[in-house]
Parts: sequence; C-alpha cells; structure tokens
Amino acid sequence: MMRIELSEDLKEEMEKLREELAKLKEQLRNVTEREQRKSRGIYIDVGNRVHDYVEDVMESVAEGIHGELEKSIFIGPGGVRIIKGAVADREEEEVKVNFPKAAEVMSALGQEHRLKILKELTSGGKYINELQEKLSEITTSTLSSHLKILEEAGLVVQEKVRGRYLITIPGRTAYKMATRITRFLERGSQE
Amino acid sequence: MMWGSYQLDDAALKATETMILWRTEKGTVEIGRNTLAIPIKLNDQRKGYIFHGHGKLLLDTIVETREGAVGKPVENELNEPFLMLGNTEEIQQHLSTAAKEDLAKMGYGSEKEFLDEAEALLSQFFGKKGMHNHQCWGWGNNNGVIFAFPNETGKLDTLIANGSKLVYKAMNQVFVSNNSKVVLKTPTEVIVTGDNRKSLFIKKCMCYGNH
Repeated sequence: MMRIELSEDLKEEMEKLREELAKLKEQLRNVTEREQRKSRGIYIDVGNRVHDYVEDVMESVAEGIHGELEKSIFIGPGGVRIIKGAVADREEEEVKVNFPKAAEVMSALGQEHRLKILKELTSGGKYINELQEKLSEITTSTLSSHLKILEEAGLVVQEKVRGRYLITIPGRTAYKMATRITRFLERGSQE
Repeated sequence: MMWGSYQLDDAALKATETMILWRTEKGTVEIGRNTLAIPIKLNDQRKGYIFHGHGKLLLDTIVETREGAVGKPVENELNEPFLMLGNTEEIQQHLSTAAKEDLAKMGYGSEKEFLDEAEALLSQFFGKKGMHNHQCWGWGNNNGVIFAFPNETGKLDTLIANGSKLVYKAMNQVFVSNNSKVVLKTPTEVIVTGDNRKSLFIKKCMCYGNH
C-alpha cells in the first residue's frame, strides 16, 4: 500500500476547509430555524437564547389570551358580555338541568294566550285592565289565571303596590326562544 | 326611659283605626286598628313612634331593565315592635290612650312591659346607627320617614324614604331607588339602572350591561 505524505501546508489548508464547512453547516441550521419560526408568525431577531425564551413567553401569553377570549367575552346584538368561567359553568348547567322546573316553564309557555300576554309585556309593565283590552277574547278571570301560572313559573312578576305586571328576564328569554323556534320550524316547513 | 337625646313617652297609646303610615308608588307601611304605640320624643316634640300590633310592609324592590324585570316584591307582616321616625303630626290625630285590654291583646301584662320592649328597640336602633346624639342627626325638618323592623336574625331592616327617594336595607338585599334610577343588591347580583332602563348587571363571576 502506497502511503502519501501530505505536506504541512496542505494539512493546514484541509483543516481550514473543515472549519469553514462546519461554520457553513451551523449557518444553514440557523437560517432553517429562523425560517421555521417566521412561518409560525413570531420572530424577533436577537440572540438565540433570548429569542427562544421570548418566543416561549409569547406563545404562552398568546395561548392564554386566546383561551380567555374564547371563554370570557361574548359580543352580540345585546351588547358586550364578559363572563369568566362561562364555559365551565355552561357545561355544569347542562348536567344539572332542573327538569321539573324546566317542564313547569315549558308548560307555562305552552298556551297561546300566555304567549300573547308575554308579548304584550315585552313593551313594558301593564295593569290587568290594559292586558284585558289587548286580549279581549278571554275573560278577566281566565286572564288572571294565566298571569298566575306565568308568575309561578317566574316569567312574570307583579308589583304589590301599583299592581302592574312585568315580564322578567327569564320571561323575555323564554318568549324569544318560543318565537325563534316557531320561525325556524315555519321556515323549515316552507322549504 | 332615655336614649341619648331621644326618649320615649311614658304612656302607651293605640291606633283608633287602620292607618297608612307611609305610601308611595314603590311601597306602603300600614298598621291595623288597636296597634299599640309609644311616642319617641326629642326636646318634648314627637319625632316618631314605636308600634306593636298587626301591620304590613309592601315594597316593590323590582328593577325594570331592557332585558326584563329583576327582583321580587317584599311583603312582610309586621307583628313585632317596629320603629318609625317622621310623619308624626298626621299620626297623632289617630291615636288614643291604650287600655290594659289593648296591651293584653299584644301579650303585655302591664304598660311597663311594653315600654321596656320599646326602649330595647330604641336603644338597638340608635345604638346601632350611632345617631343617639341628635346634633349629628338632623331628622325632623323634612318630609321623610325612617322605619326599622327587626328581622328574623334579631337585626334591623331599615327603610328610609323621602319623596321619590328610597333606601331599603334588609337581611338579603339592599334597594336604592330615585325615580328611574335604581340599585338592587342581592346575595348573588348587583343591578344598576339609569334613565331609559339602561342597566348594568354584576353577578358572581359575571359582568355585563347594555346601553
């Protein structure tokens, strides 16, 4: 086997080339990482350690904000609602449905005149004679009986002093729900 | 029979007829016929009464918001002694001296028993409020009224009213009303309404409003 003796100059040249190659590899790795970070949307061009640290912090903050936004702020036609822990509460509500109460509310809604009473009350509190004028097809005693059912279900409240009937927040919500379901079903049957 | 500058009269009286002690569109306080009364005096002038008989408190502690009404009316039977300051001139026209039988009907063996009970309530009210020094307490120069009703915990529910302004502080709620401006605080929520039923709801873990 023939042995080639490299000159000292040549050895030195090869060592330099190796070092140069290592530097190029390192640069290539950095550029690749940078591009990957850019593609994730957050890039701050500082030293690697600082950059990594800041990136971690930014990501955790972003995740936190995103999570909070999802569960705590609702923007709708009724205004802005900020509800902390709403997702957890809603999940719990789904489990703890008070079925007898729900049935009572649905039963109170399940009568045409009672829905008409709720509709009349959505424009403001009314005395019984004002309601009677609007629902002239039923007697005063029937009207009183309907109002009592609505009151017991918590959909209506009566003032003790002036005697006006007022629709409650659950009452307004229930009325809206009934009308929306009806509209939805009517639209479905037309299609 | 004194508490600070306020003192009780020494003669028990009774209502000669059913009386409405206070009435606005938000509430009423009325007492039945034969309800016992002891005048509360300040510098020999009647400033109020302690009543014991059968009466009723009605108060519409309801807030009307755009989302719907919140709160329930208060309807309390007044069968325990309660205190009232204000509106004395009108009331005294419908009072006469109470007889032993009138006191007995309310469970008192003597006039002194009723006076002792009344004094305990007076002390509780002024002691609690720190208003026993009348110089700090300018009541009597306006048309307002103050009521203090012992509740089931032994503490006093208070109702302060002057015209359309009303403050009611009870065991489970605080209700402040001035025409359409209302604040209602219950154990679970606080509702504030302003003109045109604009409202702010603050619930446990929840805050929202409309405008």
